[in-house]
Amino acid sequence: MTNASFTAAQENKKLPGDLAMWFFILAELTVFAIFFIGFAISEQQYPAMFTEGKAQLHQSFGLINTIALITSSFFVALALRAMYKAQSKQAVYLLFTAKAFAVIYITVKVWEYLSLFELGITIETNTFFTLYFLITAFHLMHVLLGMVILAIIAHSVWHEQTQTHNLSGFEAGASYWHMVDLLWIILFPLIYVI
Amino acid sequence: MNKDKSIQDFKTKNLATLSWLLLIALTIVAVLLASFIDNRSLYIVSALSIVVIKGQQIVDVFMELHHAPKLWRWLLLSYIILIPFIIAVIYLV
Repeated sequence: MTNASFTAAQENKKLPGDLAMWFFILAELTVFAIFFIGFAISEQQYPAMFTEGKAQLHQSFGLINTIALITSSFFVALALRAMYKAQSKQAVYLLFTAKAFAVIYITVKVWEYLSLFELGITIETNTFFTLYFLITAFHLMHVLLGMVILAIIAHSVWHEQTQTHNLSGFEAGASYWHMVDLLWIILFPLIYVI
Repeated sequence: MNKDKSIQDFKTKNLATLSWLLLIALTIVAVLLASFIDNRSLYIVSALSIVVIKGQQIVDVFMELHHAPKLWRWLLLSYIILIPFIIAVIYLV
């Protein structure tokens, strides 16, 4: 291997963003793993309650939210690729598109909560709804935090505070957003479909 | 050199688009499968297998960990394999 190709190979082995964000992502994934496993174990203990609870959820809301989050994640990935090509303005537009899809997610989620409240269903109704509200609201908080991070990144890029040769902050924020998406793709079948 | 870079840009952008389309298609397939598969155990295995494929796409393409250090890539891939596996075991055993 020549020096040039060795250097290129080393560069290819770079972890996107900074290490601290990846440890944070691992910690978040661990917390959600406990929730997911706890939900599955509880379902095995109270199968009738969970079947009845799932029947009261709107699967279509979950499906719309899955598509919204995946699409949002896609636009964040495109925004980062635009930054690699030093297309800052395009990256900001793509980030705003990603945020628009996140707004769809939040609107649908709030709508879903309100429709359950109208039926008299709350976090105290039973074990299924305690876990449902706990897990989905905790995930919603991550979406809101992710939107703040994306807004900070977009502001930084728009005001040219982010240099195209140092995208560590951008990559870290994008990775966080993809983690939010990753968690939802487990959460959706677990709570709404299976 | 610029031509190589343009080809590379085109490939990575198209890869992300293909991955996005695959993720959307698999999401819809997972929901539709519930209507076609009567056997609950088979459906659980199918739906969770789809989760693993979707997770791999997000980790490798969106998170760009395909070219990252192996330890980090496999930490994330292990999560997306292990958690659906544990859930499947809980439901099926």
